[in-house]
Amino acid sequence: MPNVSRRWFPLGAVAVLAAAILAFPSLAPNPYILSSGVVVLNYAVLATSWNFVGGFTGYISLGHGALAGLGGYATGLLVTKADLPSFVALIVAALLVAVLAVPLGLAALRVRGASFVIVSIALVLILLLVFQSWASLTGGSRGLVVPRPFPGLLRPEHHRVFFYLYAALLAIAVLTWWLLDRSRFGLGLKAIREDEDKAEALGTPTYAYKLIVFVLSAAFTALSGGLYALWFGDLDPVFQFSVLTGSYLVLMALLGGVRTLFGPLVGALIVGTALEYFKTEFGSTPLHLVATGVLLAVVVLVMPDGVLPAIAAGWRRLRPGEQSSIREMTAADLAEQRHRSRQDDRSGPQGDQPAAGETREEVRG
Amino acid sequence: MTLETVELRKAFGGVVALDGASVAFRTGKVNALIGPNGSGKTTFFNCVTGMIRPDSGRTTYQGQEITRKPPHAIARAGVGRTFQLCRVFPRMTALDNVLAAVRPGGFPKGLRGARSRSDLDRARGWLTRLGIEHLADAEARAMSWGQQKLLELAGVLMAEPETILLDEPAGGVNPALLDRIGALVRELNAEGRTFVIVEHNMDLVMSISDHVVVFDRGRPIAAGPPSVIRTDERVLGAYLGV
Repeated sequence: MPNVSRRWFPLGAVAVLAAAILAFPSLAPNPYILSSGVVVLNYAVLATSWNFVGGFTGYISLGHGALAGLGGYATGLLVTKADLPSFVALIVAALLVAVLAVPLGLAALRVRGASFVIVSIALVLILLLVFQSWASLTGGSRGLVVPRPFPGLLRPEHHRVFFYLYAALLAIAVLTWWLLDRSRFGLGLKAIREDEDKAEALGTPTYAYKLIVFVLSAAFTALSGGLYALWFGDLDPVFQFSVLTGSYLVLMALLGGVRTLFGPLVGALIVGTALEYFKTEFGSTPLHLVATGVLLAVVVLVMPDGVLPAIAAGWRRLRPGEQSSIREMTAADLAEQRHRSRQDDRSGPQGDQPAAGETREEVRG
Repeated sequence: MTLETVELRKAFGGVVALDGASVAFRTGKVNALIGPNGSGKTTFFNCVTGMIRPDSGRTTYQGQEITRKPPHAIARAGVGRTFQLCRVFPRMTALDNVLAAVRPGGFPKGLRGARSRSDLDRARGWLTRLGIEHLADAEARAMSWGQQKLLELAGVLMAEPETILLDEPAGGVNPALLDRIGALVRELNAEGRTFVIVEHNMDLVMSISDHVVVFDRGRPIAAGPPSVIRTDERVLGAYLGV
């Protein structure tokens, strides 16, 4: 049932969203707001990258902050120690993190559910210790200063350029997610989310699937982290390898809706903006953490599927009569329906299928 | 011989679920596997399909060793299975449930759209054949138990297995649906598919199977056509505890 409004509404929403993002730097009243916009877009890319694993396979990773941190440090070190041009360093760093994600994934994806969450947290904590103590390479707690890619640019211009770079990266990540979502590979991933053993029994090589999508997710996460390093110019292990980052990403994705393309993006816009607001309002008190926790609790209680599915459900409720019925049907009803659809669509495949049964019967257990 | 096991052993702690089970099923037939609760039938299925690893013993399918292969490789070799407590993908539509059984075919084929015309036609064809095509766009979790059982079977069939293992197809279904499942098994068998069915419903077993294997305490104690099994004293003893 091709429905015009159902097809055009999402496209219109995407166009509005894209226009809003592209117009933001011109509308931002001051450089600080613009820099907050960069932070929020960074979250949007990270949350969308996280959703390659979390949304498709249902594996909740709290360790994606570490992958972003690795991307940031790899980019920074390649620039400072190997003298690579900034954006070459960014690409090489993402590839390195993708390669590193293979053994990480091989180890972590052996376990499911809560165990996977714990393994992903362990990843963050281990890397935090490594990057703090290996001060000769990483600068340790003193931090790593990453030279800016465009030394001549004034600060507002610098923010504006990086805002658009993040927007481009976001577009690529969203497009990739969309491609996977509609592909056979994506359907296999969603099958893993629903019932991994069942997917395996149907012939899906689940371990390989999970690993591929984990590596892809890691690469996008590293790109985002690397871009952050080039933009912010100063890395500190405490912030780069923080469990908090991963938790924010989970919150954003859950809030927006993990099963939807734009869920994590919308969640990042909401949560990211809230985080920036809380930080300016409450300064360095832990109150912004409390507010974030409350937000997470509310989401889980009120909208367990996220904002976007909740809106979609509300939209459907306003337009009754479209739901597909799951009422019990008799064989006679089915035969009649089949007859009707054959009249509607001559090219239908049902021609040589035998009838389900001759007698009236109910298909209920 | 289609599926054959030699001396399969599996113990869970001190409980011996399979105690040297050597079984051979017949190609192109409807094979039944019966036995009292706890006799190791489901463990046997899980070992054969790679869901759990046997402690020792071997499994071959069409002469090829499959003992240590992962479940997806065994599925791809041509062995499909259903689960005792029917398993479908709850938050996917019936159509997607069936489409999920399509082999993606590696890179870059796997990146093609999941809803190609030919796959859709085939998927709808199976839903139609099982009488649930009106539920194509319904989420599986919203369907009744019987409908879910049919959906699970549709998914397994979509993968075009030569051999199908059914774990208690009659469990929890009404008599009318039971007849239909029985008839469907015979039809699909006539089209050349081999079946191995674990079942407690003796009427169904005796009416549709060609070859019956009886399990007791983790190993087969009798095998033969239904008419012989029906009167076998060891079988009666195992079931009735005489």
